[in-house]
Amino acid sequence: MNRIDPLETFRIQPSQKISIQYGRKSYEGVAGDTIAGLLYGNGIRVFSRSLKYHRPRGLYSLDGECSNTMMRVDGMPNVRTENTPARNGMKVTAQNVAGKTADTDPMAFMDKLGFAMPAGFYYRTLHKPAKMWPVAIKKIRKAAGLGVMDPDFRIEGYFDEIYPTADVCVVGGGPAGMTAALAAAAPGLRVILMENRPWLGGVFDYRPAAYEGDLPLYQRAAHLARKIEETPNIRVFTHTAVVGNYNDNLVTAFQRGNETDPFDERYIEIRARSIVVATGCIERPLLFENNDRPGVMQVGCAHRLARTWGLLPGRQAVFSIGDDLGLEAAADLSDLGLEIACVADTRMDGQDETLIDALSRRNIPVYRGWIAYKAHGAKQVKKVTIGPLAGVQRQDIECDLLVASAGLTPLTGLLSTRQVELLFDRHTGFFLPAGLPDGIHTAGRMLGFQDSVKIEISGQLAGMEAAADCGFNAPGEIDSIKVRINAFPGPALGSKIVSAPVKGKKTFICFDEDTTLKNIDQAMADGFDVPELIKRYTSAGTGPGQGGIPGHNLPLYVAQTQQSPDQAPRSTTVRAPLIPTLMATYAGTQHDMCKRTALHDSQVASGGKMERVGVWTRARRFAEDTKALAEIKNVRHNVGMLDASTLGKFRIHGPDALKALQRVYVSDMDKIVDGRVKYSAMCNEDGCIIDDGVVLKQGENDYYFTTSTGRAGQTVEWIRYHTRYDHWDFNIVNLTDACGVINLAGPNARKVLEKVTTADVSNEAFPFVGWRDLTLADCIPARTMRLGFVGELSYEFHVPASYTQTLWNILEAAGKELGIQNFGLEAQNGLRLEKGHLIIGSESEQRTTLHDVGLGFLWDRKPDANTVGAVALTQTEHQKDRLKLVGIKMADASAAAPKDGSAIVDTKFQGYICTARFSEALNEPIGMALVKDALAEPGTELNIYEDSCNGQLLKAIVAKMPFYDSDGSRMKM
Amino acid sequence: MSFTLTCPICGPRNAYEFGYGGEDKGPRPDEKDLSPGDWCDYVHMNRCIAGESKEWWIHRSGCGIWFTTSRDTTCNLEVRGKAEEKDANPPLEKE
Ligand SMILES: [Zn+2]
Repeated sequence: MNRIDPLETFRIQPSQKISIQYGRKSYEGVAGDTIAGLLYGNGIRVFSRSLKYHRPRGLYSLDGECSNTMMRVDGMPNVRTENTPARNGMKVTAQNVAGKTADTDPMAFMDKLGFAMPAGFYYRTLHKPAKMWPVAIKKIRKAAGLGVMDPDFRIEGYFDEIYPTADVCVVGGGPAGMTAALAAAAPGLRVILMENRPWLGGVFDYRPAAYEGDLPLYQRAAHLARKIEETPNIRVFTHTAVVGNYNDNLVTAFQRGNETDPFDERYIEIRARSIVVATGCIERPLLFENNDRPGVMQVGCAHRLARTWGLLPGRQAVFSIGDDLGLEAAADLSDLGLEIACVADTRMDGQDETLIDALSRRNIPVYRGWIAYKAHGAKQVKKVTIGPLAGVQRQDIECDLLVASAGLTPLTGLLSTRQVELLFDRHTGFFLPAGLPDGIHTAGRMLGFQDSVKIEISGQLAGMEAAADCGFNAPGEIDSIKVRINAFPGPALGSKIVSAPVKGKKTFICFDEDTTLKNIDQAMADGFDVPELIKRYTSAGTGPGQGGIPGHNLPLYVAQTQQSPDQAPRSTTVRAPLIPTLMATYAGTQHDMCKRTALHDSQVASGGKMERVGVWTRARRFAEDTKALAEIKNVRHNVGMLDASTLGKFRIHGPDALKALQRVYVSDMDKIVDGRVKYSAMCNEDGCIIDDGVVLKQGENDYYFTTSTGRAGQTVEWIRYHTRYDHWDFNIVNLTDACGVINLAGPNARKVLEKVTTADVSNEAFPFVGWRDLTLADCIPARTMRLGFVGELSYEFHVPASYTQTLWNILEAAGKELGIQNFGLEAQNGLRLEKGHLIIGSESEQRTTLHDVGLGFLWDRKPDANTVGAVALTQTEHQKDRLKLVGIKMADASAAAPKDGSAIVDTKFQGYICTARFSEALNEPIGMALVKDALAEPGTELNIYEDSCNGQLLKAIVAKMPFYDSDGSRMKM
Repeated sequence: MSFTLTCPICGPRNAYEFGYGGEDKGPRPDEKDLSPGDWCDYVHMNRCIAGESKEWWIHRSGCGIWFTTSRDTTCNLEVRGKAEEKDANPPLEKE
């Protein structure tokens, strides 16, 4: 491989060889190469085949503005190889070709069929007749798209996210960005500087042109970068693409890690008090016939290949440019060994004459007002036709490189995503911000500035203005800087030429979508006049490059072609993410977060089948039997233990605590009896039940209450919301995670409890629905309640979370001789179902009122409490045609239980099964259902439509609840 | 939700730390003699202002306070400094 002799501007280590595999061959490069650069150095010129016409495409720009160099890298499709560092051993294949490299493509004949696919082709043609469309879809889907997703591909790597804090966020690490960061950091503010390339320097980085005196620009850039590095309050993110800018200065970006970083790619989100946008310019493509031919590339691409990577982009070159940067690059590349036949400059005048002189000293002719008309060559440029823009003279020049660029275009995407209005500036030809929101500043070349010193000073000004946003205002200094800026000449006149005057059939305004100028003409002939709509109609700018290639040319071309001089070009809309980002990067590292109870490890060790229940992981059952019948039997006839720690647990206290409880609970909490818990429910404003639990009074103005697991997270918020106008004095503490709960249940539960306490826990001393603060095993304080959710003698121990495992072990040891066993959620579900005890959310949905589930008796009419839901409860008390909660049994007792959620139907929907299970106690299926009140009488026959019942409706009969122990004597023994 | 809201205790914070509590409709109406329609209107009907709307927010992932603030719904930006001066949104006009 031929590299030019080492230059100070190199970003490679020529001595450090690496190799990658492309197609079937291995190619050698050096450390610091990009994938595309490495291949280019090995003579590869065709990097991909285009979307529609399978035209060969090559290296065109180097910052990912188009899909030309997208390849599959180590299994990952659509990698932009032009700005992805090559790593030793990478496996690379070409995309959208039948073979493994892009050099030959059996589909290349598609290029000849271009005439058959005008703009809007799919939308207009393939719908008639209508039945064509499904067939067409399949064909289009097969042909469309670039990279192919392998369903077995799993992305490797570590994808992180960070949320750093900054006072000032500077986007763009070029000269203006660097001076802005330094100025903003001067008063001590925290500054973040983000740069898309792997190093700072921007357009200074590789250029040997003079900054001041003899100092070349690249040395100036290195000097600024060093100063940045020495400033501890500037945090630099390189190789970081800023992809969004949202309200109140939220900046989102993603950073690609290098080999030493602990991440592969990471998402960065910053909320800055002030933002400096110094994103500079990219080149505006120059259009002519076959402007997409490999061997045609932009000025910066050619210049950087040589200066940064030591790769001479060709042997014999023609330049067709429209900006002084093109003249400068021609002179420099000529010095580096590139033979340049001539430079065609679309501008008649306005060039920097020192550059013209430099070229004439090198005997390179400059043709003013000339442009490239056509690139020749099947797969690669072999010859170029140039000529004057006005005139018939044409000249063919043999070459293998055509450096083509119409001019510059500012990168304003970060302003567009903030809805900043961009107006066309007739002098520069740029779309420039009409006004900026507070806290956003712009600087540098994107404003049309050309002078290097002026660019830097504009950055300094923006940095000082950003510091002023953060309270460090230096009005005098800002004013004097403004005077200095105004002393420079204004922005240079920009070229607005888009295309050579050609027919446009093979003139590509958008590479990604294969959109030609001809397509744009067709769209305008079809009546489209707004660039944004033409973009939609022709797909120009909707590909992976996100408008990087056609973004500026399309509005210019449309305005010029329509020839309505009063109408300025209108920009198309740019949306976030400005650069396509991996889903893995947005997903980050924490894909599933859940809570574990203090008993989690021992539940797992006991064979618990764990599953997610809301925010928690809980044991569903402990045996293979999905019905958990052994666990149920053990609770009914012996004694079992359940980890109920997920229950919501709260303390509410203060002078107005009772008032707050009265507001949210339907029952009268003034009637709580000492030593007894009160079961009650909460409703929303519609009278629909949202929660149930128990409340107990633990002291003067001091209460403890429980909520269902699912409501634990919202309860504090709920109570505070519904007392928000009252200014009451109470405090509420969520103890859910601070306390564990063990439920000891079964006829032998008291025998176990008696072993671990000296307190009198007889039925008389500690009756059903009582609560006591016991000390268990002489050391563990346990708030103990006698409740009966599972329908047996049952104790619920509320203990500090750190004691829960110890108490569990003590109870397990105490119950060992009785044969105590774990039970899980499935057993609890079956047990409570036999009792007809409901679970909010299972036996209720959003529209289910307290009356509907038969809990209307809990409601006390409290005249002045303004209880949440009371108005609706009054209004719906006698409402007809509602779904009511009933028990059901199957007409055929040997049938299986219907699936939860199955519909109850006659000629229409009449309700649904909430929960149904085989009942161990009754030896038949039972369930609870919400059915229309007309069908709610016991004995009514119900028809159940179950998934996959094949039209055979299941028969069920409304049954009285509870199914088991109807007088509740087992809970009270 | 990319904007910031100003918690009266914690200051300006990212909007995703907050939970929305609906438009500020003022305290609950007197329950006596409320028709179901009027009650339903109070609970469910919103003004859906295109412009400055006074709303309840909770600093859910922060200090937990409920507070009111004004937000310009057309650009999703908090209208700072006005929340204290402004009364609740005017009641719904009856057709
Ligand atoms: Zn707060």
